[in-house]
Amino acid sequence: MGQRIVVDPVTRIEGHLRIEAEINNGKITDAYSAGTMVRLLEEILKGRDPRDAWAFVGRVCGVCTSVHSLASCRAVEDAIGVTIPPNAELVRNIMYCAQQMHDHVVHFYHLHALDWVDVVSALKADPKKTSEIAQSISNWPKSSPGYFSDLQKRLTKFVESGQLGIFANGYWGHPAYKLPPEVNLIGVAHYLEALEWQKEVVKIHAIFGGKNPHPNFLVGGMACAIGLDDVSGINAERLAYVHQLLQDAKEFIEQVYIPDLLAVAPYYLDWGAIGGGLGSYMSYGDLPTNGFADKSSMKFPAGVILNKDLSNIMEVDVRDDSEVQEFIHRSWYEYEGGDEKAGLHPWKGESKIKYTGPKPPYDHLNVEERYSFLKTPRWKGNAVEVGPLARVLIGYARGREDFKEVVDSTLAKLKVPVTALFSTLGRTAARGLESILVAQWGLEFYDQLINNLKNGDTRMANMEMFNPAKWDKTCQGVGYSEAPRGALAHWIVIEDQKIKNYQLVVPTTWNASPRDPNGKQSAYEAALMDTPVHDPEQPLEILRTIHSFDPCLACSVHVYDEEGKHISKVKVV
Amino acid sequence: MATHTATHKLRRVFVWELPVRFYHWLNALVIVALCATGYLIGSPPAFLSNAEASDQYLFGWIRFIHFVAAYLFFFNFLFRLYWGFVGNKYADWKNFIPTNRKFWSEMWEVIKIDIFLQKDKEHLSVGHNALAGFIYFLTFLAFLVQCITGFGLYASMSDWWFADMFVWVGGIFGGDFGLRNWHHAAMWFFIIFAMVHVYLVFYHDYVEGRGEISSMGGGWKFIEEEVFDKEKKKATH
Amino acid sequence: MTTKPTRRPTYYEEIRQKGYSRRDFMKFCSIIGAYMGLEATGVAQVANALQKTSRVPVIWLHFQECTCCSESFIRSSHPIVADILLDKISLDYTETLMAASGHQAEAAKAKTMKDYHGEYILCVEGSVPTKDDGVYCCIGGKSAIQVLEEAAEGAKAIIAWGSCACNGCVQAAHPNPTTATPIHKLVHGKPLIKVPGCPPIGEVMAGVIIHMITFGRLPELDRVGRPKAFYSKRVHDTCYRRPFYDAGLFVETFDDENAQKGYCLYKVGCKGPMTYNACGVTKWNGGTSYPIQSGHGCFGCSEENFWDNGPIYRQMANFPGFGIESNADEIGMVAAGATAVGIAAHAIATNLRKNKLINNVIAEGKDAEKEL
Ligand code: HEM
Ligand code: SF4
Ligand code: SF4
Repeated sequence: MGQRIVVDPVTRIEGHLRIEAEINNGKITDAYSAGTMVRLLEEILKGRDPRDAWAFVGRVCGVCTSVHSLASCRAVEDAIGVTIPPNAELVRNIMYCAQQMHDHVVHFYHLHALDWVDVVSALKADPKKTSEIAQSISNWPKSSPGYFSDLQKRLTKFVESGQLGIFANGYWGHPAYKLPPEVNLIGVAHYLEALEWQKEVVKIHAIFGGKNPHPNFLVGGMACAIGLDDVSGINAERLAYVHQLLQDAKEFIEQVYIPDLLAVAPYYLDWGAIGGGLGSYMSYGDLPTNGFADKSSMKFPAGVILNKDLSNIMEVDVRDDSEVQEFIHRSWYEYEGGDEKAGLHPWKGESKIKYTGPKPPYDHLNVEERYSFLKTPRWKGNAVEVGPLARVLIGYARGREDFKEVVDSTLAKLKVPVTALFSTLGRTAARGLESILVAQWGLEFYDQLINNLKNGDTRMANMEMFNPAKWDKTCQGVGYSEAPRGALAHWIVIEDQKIKNYQLVVPTTWNASPRDPNGKQSAYEAALMDTPVHDPEQPLEILRTIHSFDPCLACSVHVYDEEGKHISKVKVV
Repeated sequence: MATHTATHKLRRVFVWELPVRFYHWLNALVIVALCATGYLIGSPPAFLSNAEASDQYLFGWIRFIHFVAAYLFFFNFLFRLYWGFVGNKYADWKNFIPTNRKFWSEMWEVIKIDIFLQKDKEHLSVGHNALAGFIYFLTFLAFLVQCITGFGLYASMSDWWFADMFVWVGGIFGGDFGLRNWHHAAMWFFIIFAMVHVYLVFYHDYVEGRGEISSMGGGWKFIEEEVFDKEKKKATH
Repeated sequence: MTTKPTRRPTYYEEIRQKGYSRRDFMKFCSIIGAYMGLEATGVAQVANALQKTSRVPVIWLHFQECTCCSESFIRSSHPIVADILLDKISLDYTETLMAASGHQAEAAKAKTMKDYHGEYILCVEGSVPTKDDGVYCCIGGKSAIQVLEEAAEGAKAIIAWGSCACNGCVQAAHPNPTTATPIHKLVHGKPLIKVPGCPPIGEVMAGVIIHMITFGRLPELDRVGRPKAFYSKRVHDTCYRRPFYDAGLFVETFDDENAQKGYCLYKVGCKGPMTYNACGVTKWNGGTSYPIQSGHGCFGCSEENFWDNGPIYRQMANFPGFGIESNADEIGMVAAGATAVGIAAHAIATNLRKNKLINNVIAEGKDAEKEL
């Protein structure tokens, strides 16, 4: 008979997520994913100035900061009919690349690595051997035996102090950790280096958007006026700074992140067959190179793949009200129409809460009925996975040379077939692969920006339609983006210069949502199916698969036995 | 040469002492200055120019005038409060605060006559009528609000202990945002008050013909003999 | 109540063990001292504190938030966060970074709450929804209110990170559908520091922590409980565009000629004149820039209710109580217009209704005129 385990809070993610899973014979046979925090920004936005919306929705997430603001500006620009100048598009693209690189590196080292890297085992490493391995995989300069032995001493002292801080109560020593001590030590070293590095690349946001997290955007372009001959504007010094940061970021990705990924992966190739889940993927496309309206110009191509069929790529249209729909059958909401099984296109979307879950403190949710604050989005009725893996697969399946090159060379290095991508490991690898591309593209966009400036085009914002009096009485728009965690879109309806309806369907909603009215699971739940769990008390395997999605909500994890009783011996205070 | 009415005999009464008149005109001047500069601070005019910032201090001057006028306004106001205790009976604080039944009934009478325009009657008072007095009381409260919010805003710009006494104000208005908003909104009270005030002065001058407007110049009003006698009777009682 | 397993090495010992000399150590202290604006005697105090103290346990709770505060914290450039985590504090619980999940995470928190009762610093990121038994934010099956109350009980001091914990931030904006509530309204009787901002500047967050662990006491707070070191000046008072403001040179619309020259952003909605924060001095991301330097006005993210004090691109805020879209000037102009109409109507009515009286006055005057 099975065991019910509950993981709440799931840490090293953004937000509050809870996983309940059923375990039979050491494998997960059923899984439920629940979002347990809600802020209802959609309700707060009603009646406000659409030009302010980017700031409100920017606060949806401070980890994947800037992506919601970007989607929001695009939605409003779409609604009021304004095209932004090429420079603004390029600046937004450069900021996008910075965000993507930052997010992926932080995810790999700080949110995901501890699922694969055993910090305590690193204490046993031989610094000399570590140095040899490090130097064989990369020419990153910080790789001398002295460097690693200093680090090891620091780490030893830290562990011996008895105050383990963020490393306290990790699953250290769990048999699922497979890396040799030396590779673990490299992992810890780069954990700390990446922590220091991540604060650099986001300075690109500070230069163009004034700060990070939550840089500033502007409907109609960007606020950072070009002032080549002024101390205040974007001048040669600021541009050189951006260039330097883009180069440094590329170097870090190519010399630290990717070599580490390739060094760790061979030890976990079994995870190339675990956690595949839906096998259906969707990307809206992003990084326009010829204006946002020209979909074919996007660096990240759009498309949908169903059931792992890479030969048949379907088109996606976010405006078509029969394509993207949200269901609330298993969520704590109600629709005015009252039809429990109907899906609404976000332009007609509603966000009225109706909590029917247990009163806290509770031990478990009633997963047979409603169990989450997330709605359930579907594409033409299909559950799809979004994120780096979806983007990479769609670029690959569309035959794009840049994608083919990074994917094929990596598969060859790891000696695995392309089907290994449909997995937990594939998801984690895809994130690295697209980082290589994004790092290159960032520099391309930079060159184009310089070129424009050379040719005398210094426009940064199109203020023609900024005055609300010029807008149609009612208008609606949609803005989308490929956020670090996947396909993101905002739908807005404007009436009398104010927001009448605003709906966001975010990547984590696609992936972490509860079941749809047909009982079909979304990506997290599907990916957890059949995952082996060595010790239900230490659900490391669950974390690996869930973290491979890079969740963006807050969560918590508890463990229950079959009757719904805590099996954890630790009294939760 | 037909005489329609009996001719009036007018007595000349000294109503507004010099300090009151001085207060009044200084107050009028600084309020105009405060409203004008305040409005400009709130919505500065477009000033497209290629000028070097170091050569200009336009906005600085506007704000400087506002702050100088603000100090004048504040101390002038304090002075007037003082004069409410030492000045003549028309300047006395009791003219402004409804302390008894008669005050209220007189107010009602003025409302009937001056606001709802009861026909062919006039309420003839010497100093302020009760309604005017009460409305001036409300303006004093507005002065107070404006000074408190103004100095509350000013506290963060000044190192003087006097302005620093007002740092607490921000707290009760939910920060400088609320403070500034209320300070700005209160300006409209002054503008609207000034409109009504000036109109009513003309109204009284026109309808009653007793030299209402000039009284703030020389301090004199001209009172009908019978009113004079009535007031005198009241005073000697 | 305190159970300290082994004596923990002090900063000084740690730093010596790392191979630094005493001279290096004093240099480090004077950098920190200078950073905190201390005189030489203060530097000695820092040195003293660092020689004596061991790592202070910290519990960092997450409620209704977006994690931007945690993100900002790891952006700190001095000290860098790796050093804070390894050498200065013992961050025993934070959902964002900690290795353990689920009940192991909860156990780590429980241990610190027990072993260091009365000694740990409680950091709170996010607001707490109080409506409907707190179901709008649950962690480990408990409501945020329950989690907060338990953790606050044994805390030595509480730091409220960011506008969410200090004043509810975006989720508390009208109509505040989940009754998002700031921490100071829920916890009483504990020293509480508010570090508002959306998010606060990373170096400011690190600075507050460094202040507490080096001096062993709270930084001096202003009237609303913010550290004076970072929140005593308006952005406007430290803004490098201030000379343009004083000169009356303003950006009229984004990306116009004036914007390219870096004029003051007041007319496109800069709220710097009402906002108390260190943006103009400390700046963001290791001093790289701050919103105004990058051409966008400040929108007051460290002030109470700033979301409802919009809209962002107008320098006059909405007036409370008049719906979302009307400011004091709009209301004032309508009122003044109505007054003018009223005056005109009154003047006409006066001439009609009081014509006899007026005629008498006029006649009296005219008669006299004729007599002469
Ligand atoms: C009749 C009295 C007054 C009126 C009508 C008036 C009006 C105004 C107005 C409309 C503003 C602009 C508010 C905004 O920024 O939107 C302002 C600003 C200001 N007022 Fe007054 N005010 C008056 C008295 C005072 C007093 C007594 C003080 C005391 C010092 C004062 C100090 C200030 C300050 C400090 C500012 C802000 C200036 C800045 O932002 O640089 N005001 N006033
Ligand atoms: S205070 Fe504002 S910025 Fe910080 S976590 Fe909350 S929403 Fe994000
Ligand atoms: S840009 Fe903003 S903070 Fe700077 S001087 Fe102008 S109004 Fe003040």
